[in-house]
Amino acid sequence: MIEIKNVSLWLGDDFQVLKDVSARFQKGRTTVICGPSGSGKSSLLRCINRLERFQRGEIIVDGLSVQDPNTDIYKLRENIGMVFQHFDLYPHMTALDNITLAPQKVRGRSRKTAETKALQLLERVGIEDKANSFPAELSGGQQQRVAIARSLAMEPRIMLFDEPTSALDPEMIGEVLDVMIDLALEGMTMIVVTHEMGFAKKVAQEIIFMDHGEIVEAKNTGVFFTHPDHPRTRDFLNRILSHV
Amino acid sequence: MDWTVVSRNMDFLLGGLGVTFQLAAISLAGGVLFGILLGLARISSKRCISCPATLYIHFFRSQPLILVIFWFYFFVPVLFGKPMGTFISAVIGFIAFEAAYFAEIIRGGIQSIPKGQVLAAYSTGMKYHQVMRYIVLPQALKNMLPALMTQSIVLFQDTSLAYVIGLREFLRRISLVDSREVRSIELYFFAALVYLVICLSMSLLVRRFEHKAHQSV
Repeated sequence: MIEIKNVSLWLGDDFQVLKDVSARFQKGRTTVICGPSGSGKSSLLRCINRLERFQRGEIIVDGLSVQDPNTDIYKLRENIGMVFQHFDLYPHMTALDNITLAPQKVRGRSRKTAETKALQLLERVGIEDKANSFPAELSGGQQQRVAIARSLAMEPRIMLFDEPTSALDPEMIGEVLDVMIDLALEGMTMIVVTHEMGFAKKVAQEIIFMDHGEIVEAKNTGVFFTHPDHPRTRDFLNRILSHV
Repeated sequence: MDWTVVSRNMDFLLGGLGVTFQLAAISLAGGVLFGILLGLARISSKRCISCPATLYIHFFRSQPLILVIFWFYFFVPVLFGKPMGTFISAVIGFIAFEAAYFAEIIRGGIQSIPKGQVLAAYSTGMKYHQVMRYIVLPQALKNMLPALMTQSIVLFQDTSLAYVIGLREFLRRISLVDSREVRSIELYFFAALVYLVICLSMSLLVRRFEHKAHQSV
């Protein structure tokens, strides 16, 4: 479903962010990508929907090469939802308008249809009473749930999560993870950059560990935690699991 | 001192003020619209778009306005193939000149919007013009309002420079009355008073907007 083939990305002339990265993501599965900050996880995610342009290699989503000039990237992005670390809601619009904008302007839905759908989504993420609130009036956890609803409103086939809980206060992490767990259990194809190993153990089929722009290790979840091959993976796991 | 010179010529002078307001309003609308396009072009990632826009902005920002007004006065008839009158020439000159200043304000406003929102909008499948229209510009224009209004006040004062091509705006009419009645002190004092009242009330308005913008952050 998503195939990453030997992708290399440089920022500027000599800073290589991704080094010959290859991976496959199957339909209906959840993959967690973890690794120290600056290891290229977020950049890899952004290459998948071409928010970032890479210099070498190829990424194929649903049979389409994302950097092929003949690929309609806008059409492709409609099917790839993305959730960001800092939520990035549109601050001048209510929660409802944040969610209904793209369905109306991109998919051409009527306001009424878009709003009905948006209210269902808000109910699903547990904040139907916040439809008319502006982002500044919402807590971080609520904002991130609106952001998830905003992505889901486009009815994507794939969801990308870029450290969705790392900007949240600890007591709000759970409410966002719960929404993501439901989504994963319903069979959404998800790629999640996160350090939430509890989430990974619960729903991820596969875990990828990245460091210095490379995939160090990619394994089924069970094996990843019990038998990591690489010393760098073991070291990383020791450090993040020791303080849980 | 004979202050009746002002009241005796009031209709003529107010007519001039009307021309001044028209010139300012049309130049402002045209300058802001053209300025938005220039500002967007300036920050385009395509060099064939950003280069000409940057050159244009630098060029006009380094010219004295009076030269630009003069030059367009001679150039506009050539451009249209017939005389267009001083008002049209002045309007085109002002739009061309002010757009360069507005473009820089607009560029700053656009760059003040967090990049994350733009990426989020793109990730939902929106196109460039949609991201600009629904996400970036509504917020950017609000942030820029104080700077835009300050520049508008400058524009309003600068319209007086159109007297060099003989446009009968407010200040030109003051000097016409003066050459007939020789009451320089009274007439120019009155002109100063008019500019003071108009510009001061505009800047008070700006202050209120700045205050509001501050509160809503």
